Amino acid sequence: MNDMQWAPIGSEPLPPPLPPTRVDFTGDRSTFRKMVTKGAMLELVTFGFYRFWLVTDIRRHLWSNTAIDGDAAEYTGRAKELLIGFLVALAILVPIYLAYFLVGIEFERWQGFASTPLFISFYAFGQFAIYRARRYRLTRTVWRGVRFWMDGSGWAYSFRAMLWGLLVFLTLGLALPWREASLERYKMRHTHFGDLQGDFEGDGWTFFKRGWWLWLLTPIAVVIFPLAPFFYAEFKAREWRWWLDGIRIGGVSLSSQLPHNAFYGLYWKVVGWWMLLSVVFGLYLGGATWLANAVGMAPTGPDAIARSIPLLVVMVIGYLAVVLAMNVVMRVYLQHDIWVKVLETLQVHDIGAAADVQGRGDLASALGEGFADGLDVAGF
Amino acid sequence: MTDISAESAAQSAKPTIFFDGVSSRRRQVTLTLADALEIVEAGVTPVRWAYDDIRRADSPAGVLRLASTSAPPLARLEIRDVALAADVTARCPRLDEHQTSRRGVAKIVGWSMAAAVSIVCVVLFGVPLAADRLAPLVPKPIERRIGDASEVQVKTIFGRNACSDSAGKAAFTKLVNRLRDAAGLDDDNMTAGVLPSAIPNAFALPGGKVYVLNALIDKAENPDELAGILAHELGHLKHHDNMRGLIYNGGTSFLIGLLFGDVTGSSAVIFASRSVVEASYSREAETAADTFAIDIMHALGRSPKPAAELMFRITGKEGGGLTSILASHPLTEDRLARMTKEDRPASGPPLLTDTEWQALKGICGSGKV
Repeated sequence: MNDMQWAPIGSEPLPPPLPPTRVDFTGDRSTFRKMVTKGAMLELVTFGFYRFWLVTDIRRHLWSNTAIDGDAAEYTGRAKELLIGFLVALAILVPIYLAYFLVGIEFERWQGFASTPLFISFYAFGQFAIYRARRYRLTRTVWRGVRFWMDGSGWAYSFRAMLWGLLVFLTLGLALPWREASLERYKMRHTHFGDLQGDFEGDGWTFFKRGWWLWLLTPIAVVIFPLAPFFYAEFKAREWRWWLDGIRIGGVSLSSQLPHNAFYGLYWKVVGWWMLLSVVFGLYLGGATWLANAVGMAPTGPDAIARSIPLLVVMVIGYLAVVLAMNVVMRVYLQHDIWVKVLETLQVHDIGAAADVQGRGDLASALGEGFADGLDVAGF
Repeated sequence: MTDISAESAAQSAKPTIFFDGVSSRRRQVTLTLADALEIVEAGVTPVRWAYDDIRRADSPAGVLRLASTSAPPLARLEIRDVALAADVTARCPRLDEHQTSRRGVAKIVGWSMAAAVSIVCVVLFGVPLAADRLAPLVPKPIERRIGDASEVQVKTIFGRNACSDSAGKAAFTKLVNRLRDAAGLDDDNMTAGVLPSAIPNAFALPGGKVYVLNALIDKAENPDELAGILAHELGHLKHHDNMRGLIYNGGTSFLIGLLFGDVTGSSAVIFASRSVVEASYSREAETAADTFAIDIMHALGRSPKPAAELMFRITGKEGGGLTSILASHPLTEDRLARMTKEDRPASGPPLLTDTEWQALKGICGSGKV
């Protein structure tokens, strides 16, 4: 069926390996910034419901501006799917919350605070949601008219994640690299592009060797907290590079030259913005309180509760504005800029193996994203 | 018209690429703009896309990427030549029909506002009503089970054993029984006890449990002070305030969480709005329990004022500051003012004799905790 020119390996001398392909990002940063700013404002007036549309727009922008071997990817997911997924997830989560509550009462009757471990069941559910949400995003990712897709089981993944989580907990975080390697292997081996199967070749030991000293230094960052952004940026860069180096899809492999200090600037910019916004918010609060006192609306006296309402409304509005501004900052630096930085240093090897892939796989529902939203474990 | 278009297709310098949606093979094609869009690849039957079916797909700047509703869903045609792209665009009347337009966004905003308004209305009016109506209907066994669970928690915090000095217990029981009879509560499932603790407080649990912490008895100077507070707690039992609070808080936190969802930083908003709404509901319940206590004390021919004085001695003046909107109880000075207004000279017999009162003060042993 596939009469492609690279099929007959062995009978003829191998051609010299082609140079690696680069991944280009053609997006315009100011377009992205305007999009997330507008989105944040719409989120405010829609009480957050606009998030489904905004997150879809962000993905569409990033995906369609990412060109591998000259062809841009495409995100075909739509906000309505997310909205429906969210509503369905709610319908399922509500009875679960209720059951959790009732079971909790029975536990508490038996022994005070015995129901605390039940909380773990929500962690398991969160892991399931993470897997299923990834599956949704992947089945909406299209390149050259063929979609990515995923099989495997969300619960099997969740079970693995739980066991590894326990081990990480018992080893105070030292087992983290092996946890990531194992979970990534599960995810990538169940990832497909058309009829190509994915794999993950990164191993925990490599990651451990690249980052163990950060684990040792973490207590220092707790004491000298300005060091924390450095350590976190260092960790994230090493994690990204290790992860990308391990990814395989069919014969295609990735490699990354991401420098270890690639994210320092980004995290510090976020910290800087955060401090600036905090100062502005502090001044705003101070000004509002002063004004309230000046016009005789100070919240004292017998009807203090009623008199404090206008000032509180003003404060809430200020707070929401700060939160939304921070959302814009985080989306620009931690989503867009990290995406760009990672792609800049990414190389794709043997892309020829993906030149004639047969389309396969069905669309997955957005239920996983709904759960992830409902449980607050939403990823990208 | 066809000739002109064919010409422009021939002139196009940048390649036009077609993906058939079945395989990832990159096919270099030429376009013929006839009565339908013909995608021509050398040596293959041309693919025809009706102009009405053609839709725009996401693409980077400088590329026009098209899909067709009648082709395989992932089939894509990528036109890189600007002139050709303009030609094709002009012929496809429904190119952008599926995109979210300005009107679409307005619709989202409108419906979200409507949803928000209805959620706010439900939080303000629906949930309190549901809580008031449902709480009395909660079967006694369920209420008692919830009460048992919270009792276990309370005892984990304050120590396992209720104070049990026999003379003190007798006095306490007498006081509670007099109040209970005046309140008209069923006696079959009400329990009251004193727990050793240095915190002066009293509380009611679901399923008819009232607990007084020993420090409150230590601070009380006469039986009326304690009686007023016990009557207030009985008011909570009478009004099913625990179950009402449970239903109300569960309902509002769910709805407010639904409203704000997953916006980063929203947890603070959720927490704040929940606290304000719940505190206001709780203040209403406390005021109602105060009313109840006033009525009971009047019925027994005693004044409700001493109880408020006891509270005032414990909390001091509270008013001032923005935190008062988060207070779960009305401000103590307001309660004192109210109960002072209801002050009447004693017309009934004292609730406890001096000996009984002294015994009650010693219910937890030597009075040391």
